[in-house]
Amino acid sequence: MKAFTNANPRDLPHALTLIQQAQSSGRHASIAGGGSDLLGMIKERIVEPDVLINLRALKGLDQVAAEKSGLKIGGLTTLDALSRHQTIRRQYTVLAEAAESVATPQIRNVGTIAGNVCQRPWCWYFRNGFPCYKAGGNQCFSINGENQFHAIFGGGPSFIVHPSDTAPALVALDAKFHIAGPKGDRRLSPVDFFVLPRQNAARENSLANDEVLASIEIPSPRAGTRSTYHKVMDREAWTHAVVSAAIVLEMDKDVCRSARIVLGGVAPVPWRVPDAERVLAGQRITPELAAKAGEVAVAEAKPLAKNAYKVPLTKAVVRRTILQLVQRG
Amino acid sequence: MPKSKAKGRISRRKFIEGTGVAVVAATAAPAIHAQSPPETAPGVPHTAIRVTVNGKAQRIEVEDRWSIAEMLRDHLGLTGTKIGCDRGECGACTVLLDGKPVYSCSNLAVWADGRTIQTVEGLARGDELDPLQHAFIEHDAPQCGFCTSGQLMSAKALLNSNAHPTREEVQAAMTGNICRCSNYNRYVEAVLAAAAMPAGKRSNSTAGRKRAKQGGLS
Amino acid sequence: MSETLKPLKTVGHPTPRIDALERVTGAGHYTGDVKLPGMLYARVLRSPHAHARIRKIDVSKAEALPGVKAVVTLENCNFVWGAGSVAGGIQYNDEIKKNTRQRRHAFNNPVRFVGDPVAAVAATDRHIAEDALHLIAVDYEVLPHVLEPEEALKPGAPQIWPEGNFALNPRNEQQPMGQKRGNVEEGFRASDHVFEDRYSTAFVHNAQMEPRACVAQWEGDKLTVYTPTGGIANCRHDIARDLGLPDDNVRVICQYMGGNFGNKNQNQDADLITASLAKLAGAPVKLELSRKEDFIGMHGRWPTVQYYKVGVSNDGTLKAIQLRGFSGMGGYRKNSGAIGGIECYQCPNIETVITPVYTNKTVSGNFRGPEYPQGYFGIQSMMDDVAYKMKMDPVDFVLKNMTRKANDSAEYTNYTLEECIRRGAEAFEWKKRWRQSPGSDPGPVKRGAGFAFMSFRSGVGHSNAILRVDSKGRYFVHVGVTDVGAGAKTTMGLIAAEALEVPLSQIEVVWGDTGRCPFSVGESGSRTTIMTGHAVIEAAQDLKKQIAEKGLPKGSDFLTASAGPTPRIQGGKVRNTFGAHFVEVEVDTELGRAHVTKYLCVHDCGRVMNPLTGISQIKGGAIMGIGMALHEDLVYDRASGAPLSAGYYGARISTHRDVPDVEVMFIESDDGYGPYGAKSMGESSKVPAVAAVGNAVFNAIGRRMKDLPITKDKIIGALA
Repeated sequence: MKAFTNANPRDLPHALTLIQQAQSSGRHASIAGGGSDLLGMIKERIVEPDVLINLRALKGLDQVAAEKSGLKIGGLTTLDALSRHQTIRRQYTVLAEAAESVATPQIRNVGTIAGNVCQRPWCWYFRNGFPCYKAGGNQCFSINGENQFHAIFGGGPSFIVHPSDTAPALVALDAKFHIAGPKGDRRLSPVDFFVLPRQNAARENSLANDEVLASIEIPSPRAGTRSTYHKVMDREAWTHAVVSAAIVLEMDKDVCRSARIVLGGVAPVPWRVPDAERVLAGQRITPELAAKAGEVAVAEAKPLAKNAYKVPLTKAVVRRTILQLVQRG
Repeated sequence: MPKSKAKGRISRRKFIEGTGVAVVAATAAPAIHAQSPPETAPGVPHTAIRVTVNGKAQRIEVEDRWSIAEMLRDHLGLTGTKIGCDRGECGACTVLLDGKPVYSCSNLAVWADGRTIQTVEGLARGDELDPLQHAFIEHDAPQCGFCTSGQLMSAKALLNSNAHPTREEVQAAMTGNICRCSNYNRYVEAVLAAAAMPAGKRSNSTAGRKRAKQGGLS
Repeated sequence: MSETLKPLKTVGHPTPRIDALERVTGAGHYTGDVKLPGMLYARVLRSPHAHARIRKIDVSKAEALPGVKAVVTLENCNFVWGAGSVAGGIQYNDEIKKNTRQRRHAFNNPVRFVGDPVAAVAATDRHIAEDALHLIAVDYEVLPHVLEPEEALKPGAPQIWPEGNFALNPRNEQQPMGQKRGNVEEGFRASDHVFEDRYSTAFVHNAQMEPRACVAQWEGDKLTVYTPTGGIANCRHDIARDLGLPDDNVRVICQYMGGNFGNKNQNQDADLITASLAKLAGAPVKLELSRKEDFIGMHGRWPTVQYYKVGVSNDGTLKAIQLRGFSGMGGYRKNSGAIGGIECYQCPNIETVITPVYTNKTVSGNFRGPEYPQGYFGIQSMMDDVAYKMKMDPVDFVLKNMTRKANDSAEYTNYTLEECIRRGAEAFEWKKRWRQSPGSDPGPVKRGAGFAFMSFRSGVGHSNAILRVDSKGRYFVHVGVTDVGAGAKTTMGLIAAEALEVPLSQIEVVWGDTGRCPFSVGESGSRTTIMTGHAVIEAAQDLKKQIAEKGLPKGSDFLTASAGPTPRIQGGKVRNTFGAHFVEVEVDTELGRAHVTKYLCVHDCGRVMNPLTGISQIKGGAIMGIGMALHEDLVYDRASGAPLSAGYYGARISTHRDVPDVEVMFIESDDGYGPYGAKSMGESSKVPAVAAVGNAVFNAIGRRMKDLPITKDKIIGALA
């Protein structure tokens, strides 16, 4: 590993100052939450920081505040803590389940919600050092290459899929992303936080180099809300989603008042499918209706040469997850 | 004939009494650990940290880029923690950091400042093996043994928080620990067996002696 | 039929490993744990290109980096790595090294795969060594590459060796491997039905948990090498020969080893590179490979393409089998590239033609049952398919057509295959679990059952053992085993205790050090228990005789007995072990998820020396087979020839959650040739596993999966 300096900030403003100081002196700063994935990329020399800002040193950013109006989750809350949090398990189930589906216990014990939302793609071209868009280059090697795990929605010019499990859950819960930066704080909706390659091919979100995802807010669910996360993997643990669905249904007895359906593993950002949500809104959910939602969810899919299987797979995941959620009661 | 210089405080006699294993000696080659103080490379950022390892408070100068695994293995002589992938993919390096299992290859030593680490070398209490170690031996959980320390630490963390896990809970808790010998069934059996040992007898060698007699082993 | 074996006093009882304490306390010293005074750390620079000629290497900047003590390249480390280019499936020997034209060196030019070593650095710490790699400037002329064996044989394909891509054998001939019996064309004409199909298997890596490491230390012209090897004797001889040293000047030590599975019996390029660096630096050196380097720099199972043509009569009797196979060897022919399995069927007309082909992928070699798991997948999938097409239960089809004599001519020393299959089918409740109409379960989640059978070599051969006893009645068993994980040390202790008629507690096993242990064949080919076991028994008998004559020695004296038997099988018979695996899978056809729900292995391994470790061996092979069937692969980017999925994450190696409870049944027999009746065990459990899983998937979904691994894209694609 190339040598670097670890810097322990006292608090968030100090972290931002340290980042700025590094950058203004021409040094590359990397921000570590749990740091597992970052260290892997440093070892592979995909990232070569001079300074590593260790956010674990911060106090207080690892708390979950559950209030009537909703949840406020500190960015440094570990995935393990999220998955065990009783209120989250009960009322924001999709998030607990998504957090629990990430990697392994060892990673969830240090991995943070902010780190999971902001992790870099696991596209095997990017991870193997190909000079692709995500590495600052100007091509996507998957287009004519091994694209079995790549995007069927929203691709171009890069066809990575967003690697996070918690991100689709957060989008489905209509979370707001609190960003701290030297020019002040920003509070972004999912649609502004996550960016498609056509907006910025090198990045997956709108965080600037000197900004930090400080916390996440989730509005309190309305009565009758139930949610779940379904992740399809190609072994039973420790892979990223081949396809996943985060689904939140607001039910009034057996009628669905509204639905939010967000897909993972299929697009460069958590992929919301509003047309499929509209299929469910105001309806009694039957197997036929769920199947229709599945059909509609993939209507716009544009598979590459080797990932067409994701289309029927996504369709099935949407249909079955909706039905499972209804049956769960 | 050079005798085995088994590290730690566990005598072979105790091991044998505790497990009902026949008194067989395995004679290892001469000791191959050079004792050298931790040494940081010149010009490389380094930091003095305080860390409690297996109950012993230490102050150690670490390079900022050292992983916990590197610090333990190369600079504290605790080579029971193995590095199988160095990328958080296999679990051979699992240690407990403030009681929770983590990949010591994927955490920097500087991040452990002020915290406690438990490694496989810290599992036994004095001369007494941990119940998990007993069960691992009796159920032939380690084959090549390279993943074993990590499996033990994940299992230890599980039993610390859930004394009587189900089979599925054991599999879930240990799923971050790959075993290429694929002795997964044995690992799970062993953890369940350790959990089933009555609390009073868990670290008691009498049980082992009794088993030895019943088993008719010489 | 097997008879009940007479129980023995020590052998055959479940016994914890004699080194279990070290294994659960972290006290076992693996190669990577070795730390010598003044030791340097080494790293290897590897080719980023699949095929390239090196025009120039400039190491001056690396050498100038403070802390760097030695840099080696082809220029100053030009050793032929004999075992890296054996060019066949036979044990590497001096004759082969002399003959072989297509030689692999520790460093090569041209480089023939992504990961081919180009240079190595030793420095005062591993980070400096790694930094130094990035200061080495290599000027490559990139050459066109080819990745697939069939493409590599086409006219105009990039030439990886001057003689072409058809890999030479040790006699430098382009000779396909294979066997011929009868006349297949006549056999097909005499058949009522002829079926043809193509199967393919993927490169899967041994992926043993311990990544490659090596420590080399010179004292004058004497070299000590700590290296992970299951064959210390072979490894020492290989290192000595490659470096031009007498065997006596090389000592190989391997005390604990984190798995083998076939890529650790001979020496490795890492040993030669480390020894060269240590010589140049004048200090001990430790080389450590990263997991990714281990995946692409060490070998894995050769991928294959298999074309079958099978003729049967109306009653389901096999008339002719033809196989045309291609094996991808990577850039060097380290092992045979054979495709086994056809010999398991009794058939008058057989023809197999198997071509080992160079490609610009990582090198292939032996991996647990070298040519069988992939070959069995092909032939036993093919035959399973034929059974269905003939409207026969696959078990009945096999009972009708399986081998009953080795090669249909020589007798087996004993034969329990039919018993393995019949007892397995009964215990598994085959008739209940198997769907007569495949894929017939209603709904998207379908179950099905499959089976495969196995016959695997269990030969006898030469090995040595030295036993000593002191005045206190302590017995020292010196054997050249390492114990790669299968429990060889313990097995040798059990055999010695049994033969000496003393409690195991009086035995001390000395292992894993050529300085203190005699020749052993090494833990490959599932041979240690049989071959070294025989040597232990013979030495024990000698020692017992001496004690009977002279009594125990006095004072500091020892009595010593040494044996090096070379037993032979009488009457031209063939000694094999047998088994059958029965698998039930559940396939979620919509999610493309195949999951094993029940798994039964029935094995005749002769007398099981230690049921505790023996069961672990069988379970492990079966679970590895499930991984090979359903997940594992090394995916390559065609355009660049770079591997994309190296490592545990990428190759989808099975986790705790992926595996079923594997049930193991032993049928114990004694053919009189094994030590106390032991036959081979370690490899055999992987041999039928892959085919059994594949056949179960077919039974569940009604679609034949012909290309490994059976991943969800293929399952969903097949049912679309």
